[in-house]
Amino acid sequence: MKRRQITGRNFVLPLCLFAAAVLVFFGCRGERGEAEPTLLVAVNAGVEADSLKQAVADYQRQFGVRVQVVEYPYQSLFEKIIIALSGPNTNYDLVMLDDPWFPRFAQMGGLLELTSLYQAKNLSGPDADFIEPCLALGRYPYRQGRLYALPYVGNTQLFFYRRDLFEKYHLPPPRTWDEVLATGRRIGSREKMYGYVMRAAQGNPIVADFMPLLWAFGGRLLDDEGRPVVNRPEAVAALEFMLRLAEIVPPGYVNFNADEVGAHLSQGTAVMGINWPAWIPTFEDPARSKMVGKIGYTTVPSQKQPGASAIGNWLLAIPRGSRNGARAFDFLLWVTSQEQMRLSALRGNPPTRKSIFEDQELIARFPAYPVQYQALLGSRPRPRSPVWNEIENTFGTYLSQAHAGIYSPREALERANRDLEQLLQRWNATSPPQ
Amino acid sequence: MERDLATPVTSLRRAGRQGFFPYLFLAPAVALLLALTVYPLLYIVRISLYRLTPAGETFVGGENFLRLVRDPFFFQSLGQTFLLMAGALTLEFFFGLALALLLDSEIRARGLWRALLLLPMILPPVVVGVIWRLIYNPNFGVLNGALQLLGVDTTRLTWLADPSVALAALVVVDVWEWTPFVFLILLAGLQAIPEEPYEAARIDGSSAWQTFRHITLPLLAPAILVALLLRTMDLLRLFDQVFILTQGGPGFATETISLYIYKTAFRFFDFGYAAAMSLVLLVATLIVSRFYLGFLQKKERPT
Repeated sequence: MKRRQITGRNFVLPLCLFAAAVLVFFGCRGERGEAEPTLLVAVNAGVEADSLKQAVADYQRQFGVRVQVVEYPYQSLFEKIIIALSGPNTNYDLVMLDDPWFPRFAQMGGLLELTSLYQAKNLSGPDADFIEPCLALGRYPYRQGRLYALPYVGNTQLFFYRRDLFEKYHLPPPRTWDEVLATGRRIGSREKMYGYVMRAAQGNPIVADFMPLLWAFGGRLLDDEGRPVVNRPEAVAALEFMLRLAEIVPPGYVNFNADEVGAHLSQGTAVMGINWPAWIPTFEDPARSKMVGKIGYTTVPSQKQPGASAIGNWLLAIPRGSRNGARAFDFLLWVTSQEQMRLSALRGNPPTRKSIFEDQELIARFPAYPVQYQALLGSRPRPRSPVWNEIENTFGTYLSQAHAGIYSPREALERANRDLEQLLQRWNATSPPQ
Repeated sequence: MERDLATPVTSLRRAGRQGFFPYLFLAPAVALLLALTVYPLLYIVRISLYRLTPAGETFVGGENFLRLVRDPFFFQSLGQTFLLMAGALTLEFFFGLALALLLDSEIRARGLWRALLLLPMILPPVVVGVIWRLIYNPNFGVLNGALQLLGVDTTRLTWLADPSVALAALVVVDVWEWTPFVFLILLAGLQAIPEEPYEAARIDGSSAWQTFRHITLPLLAPAILVALLLRTMDLLRLFDQVFILTQGGPGFATETISLYIYKTAFRFFDFGYAAAMSLVLLVATLIVSRFYLGFLQKKERPT
């Protein structure tokens, strides 16, 4: 009896304390939230984030506006953004997105349209200094549509080769894929190294390395009406060629990603390979590379069609649910301005502005800039589809199966085409094209 | 207590209090259970009937389940998950049992061995994945390095990159990481067996095998079943190691069902279909668990 009474009373005090703690906690939060708004930016962890964090410190000094950079690894960044864009409100005021993700985010109506924000500032739109293939990525539909994002980092694939060895054998840099295979065989066997290195891990890596081949052989992934056409003879020829190329590639390449390709090139175990320009500083750093000064870079080889590399830009956009849209736009304009992008370039990010690629001081510092600029101008985007992730996964799975010897190239591409058709039918059935 | 407790008013108050307080104490647990288990489960059942994307939702009835029946990737990933589970479970059981029997006997530095054996289990699965990715690396991994020292030609041994070997390579990783767990439960089970039956067996002149077969094994059965049940449920939703080691590749050779569900939900943002697949996995897990629990109850009843 007595015990129960005491238990009851003892329970009241902790309960009151707990309630008080809850009140204090939420009270404090409320008060802090009403103070000067801090802009929250979600970005990819890596060199992009490092550069942005330095810019943010400058911005706060100049304008007194606090900007907080939140870094996520590549894969989780996509998840964070799509969840942030799904609801009516989000804490993020600016998001950094990989350009193949953009159509999805734009299609679901999650991003603020930028033209009206420009007009509010009496500006007609982005200035003409932006490189056209980069700016086109932020429009939905591609190139002609409305503008939802600005390009911040101007990556595009480059073709890397051992300049010293090509000079030793009096060979020009390879201009066609046939030359890649022939010189790779020849130099590889003479020098006891792998003639070529590619990344063929399932999903994004294998598709990114296959696209330049597919385009060079005259193939496409989707036609103008958005129908899959990967079972055409050009595509089959491209995949058959990729398998021949695989004969001079290090074993285990079907699990390779950009890291392994970079490692083989910087350690001098492979003659050639495609990779992102972000790897150049690594190749030229004596602490991380045995091949300093020996690696040359050029544009992606041609075959039946002129060579084209896949563009892979980082874009910046404002979520529709942001509570500080106008302030975020101020920051977006500032951070993509000529002056700021020059600083970003010095911090290691390829720019998206013509003036910076043509800046003599920067060219002296980054000798690859003319090649990168040329590659960007000749680059092609991966298909602008809201379901790109599914397309890439399906296509990548079958490409990977062809490399693993499970299907012949023709069979793999027939199956891929059939699955892609189903996938797109399912998508179109529920989401009418805009 | 000097007051008369038998008066109706007090007893009513008492009854009220008695009725109120126990529920109050239970409430947080019940609320948590409802919020974290029951509500999500019902929600999954609901969204499995919708085409649910960030752009909106459309009721599609059984379409997600129809798609599932026709999806070869779903069955392949489910089959691969069960294959992986069968392989890992068998090896973990035999190694775990052998180690438990060994370390239950009087051997030198028993404490040290036991501590060492637990190390793989204590590592975060992500770290285990990264370690094994390095071990399996065909060009500079320690496994091929060791084989080369033995004079083996390793040019074609690519482990995770070989579709016919990759799944087995994943089994090895799981066995390495989780045998200690099985070992730990079986060791606890062994130590809980009283000494008397063994004494009786010795007096009756039973051989070591007979003792093991007719005393140790039956008395250890509940521990074995618990260990296998827990490992089964873990293996059915194996994700982290596959994610780090192969991402489901090469091709589709090591895609587990949970990885496929994850991709469908968080890369393709097709929550409806992912929910439908999750429900099927849940039913499969329930069937397998029922099977184990049936065994467990049968074992417990006679005693």
